[in-house]
Amino acid sequence: MLTVENLVVNYGYINALRGISFEVRQGEIITLIGANGAGKTTTLMSISNLIKKESGSITFKDQDITKTPSHKIVKMGMCHVPEGRKIFPELTVYENMIAGTFGNKALSKDRINGLLEEQFQLFPRLKERRNQAGGTLSGGEQQMLAISRGLMMDPDIMMLDEPSLGLAPIVVEEIFELILKIRGNGKTILLIEQNASMALSIADRGYVLENGLVTLAGSGQELLRNENVKKAYLGA
Amino acid sequence: MLSQYMINQLVNGLCQGFIYALIALGFAVIVGIVGLATFTHGEIIMIGAYASYYIFSACGNNLFLGLFASFCASWLVGILVYKLCYEQFLNVPEHISLICTIGFSMLLKNLAQIFFGTEKKPMLDIIDNRIYSLGPVEISKVQIVIMVTVLALSALMMMIFNWTKWGVALRSVSQNREAAALVGINVKQTIMVGNCIGCAMAGVAGMLIGIYYQAIYPTMGATLSMKAFAAATLGGLTSVPLSALGGGILGLIENLGISISSASFRDVFSFGFLIIILIFKPTGFVKRKGVRP
Repeated sequence: MLTVENLVVNYGYINALRGISFEVRQGEIITLIGANGAGKTTTLMSISNLIKKESGSITFKDQDITKTPSHKIVKMGMCHVPEGRKIFPELTVYENMIAGTFGNKALSKDRINGLLEEQFQLFPRLKERRNQAGGTLSGGEQQMLAISRGLMMDPDIMMLDEPSLGLAPIVVEEIFELILKIRGNGKTILLIEQNASMALSIADRGYVLENGLVTLAGSGQELLRNENVKKAYLGA
Repeated sequence: MLSQYMINQLVNGLCQGFIYALIALGFAVIVGIVGLATFTHGEIIMIGAYASYYIFSACGNNLFLGLFASFCASWLVGILVYKLCYEQFLNVPEHISLICTIGFSMLLKNLAQIFFGTEKKPMLDIIDNRIYSLGPVEISKVQIVIMVTVLALSALMMMIFNWTKWGVALRSVSQNREAAALVGINVKQTIMVGNCIGCAMAGVAGMLIGIYYQAIYPTMGATLSMKAFAAATLGGLTSVPLSALGGGILGLIENLGISISSASFRDVFSFGFLIIILIFKPTGFVKRKGVRP
């Protein structure tokens, strides 16, 4: 569904990505793990075309999206929940979710209402706070709002950038359960995480990023058992 | 007991304040959505005034046609401003586009002097100058028309901003461009529309000024754009309703000030007031709400 080939990204003189390749197939949960500065966020940003790529190609649904503007990529059915949530702080929860529907022009009014209902079932707390400004929510609630804003466009693939960042352990578990639920609804997921053990335990396949290169790939279970991964990321 | 003169000055100030409010409101929309200050605002006002002037002289005194013309003309110039001064400079330091707008404003001013002539053009009797009196308050038809137009336009704008999808898109872009792009909003196009809305408000304000003072000239925008800046500063630059309030208060202060001194001190009062406010309350009227990072 999504294929990244030989992606190279430079920030000035710094090589952020030095030619990474991976693919995401329909219905999978794929995770990219790696330390700070390994290039995880950069990978997602360049897939969404928020930053300039040096070289490489990205294919989504058999179309080359290497040079497609961000908003058009979104409209093809790719949803990117950015790092640090990036909800709209002065829009209400409801408006934030409506903003999420802009990415899919095919949604009818009924469908939007249906999606809203689904979201409110998934996140009862958002329903309670629907008229509150997004910026007044707690960190975990903001993360949920960011995810539900993404789901409002009914995407085919969701790219989640560090959804557990800065959240209490119990909330982190909720978020991971949620990711499984979303996959259960037929969405493909590309997950980026520092919390490698959690990410690998729910992932079908995983890639390990180090200094802008994919150094290891395999199924989630394989990587969990790999000695190097254990040492470097699982603290064993 | 207020003297008749003071009451009249209050009404005049209020009317003036309404016009300033419309200008400031446009300014705040531009700063909020484009994220960059503009110095062409005064020239947009002038363009709007001339557009309505030519429509009035070609098609007779039809207020709605004039309004439409000034709205459209300034919208188009807004597109031009966006293309020339903003589009290429959205991700570079702000002063580049700031200086770009200063240059563009000079260009517009001088082009206007070439094509429209340097002399003042009279804009007479667009609205017959009947005066209504409500008890001690005397108010002319022109003033009523101005206030109603401003109120209607601002209400329309508030409705668009708060209740429509377009409004949500515009506000999203003003809060976080990256996130806006990631929910599928065409950020550049939305910024352009936001800029055009702000310009259109200024253009209509230009027509109203032309009708109120019955004269227009190519350099009329200079002080007006400074007033808009002052009014918007009072409102914290990006808060639309507070900027409008700032405009209103500025108009009132000016007219009360000249009623106790002389009309040549007009600008002294408005800018003096701005300075005093900024000394004691540097954020203007805005009370920053605590927002989680």
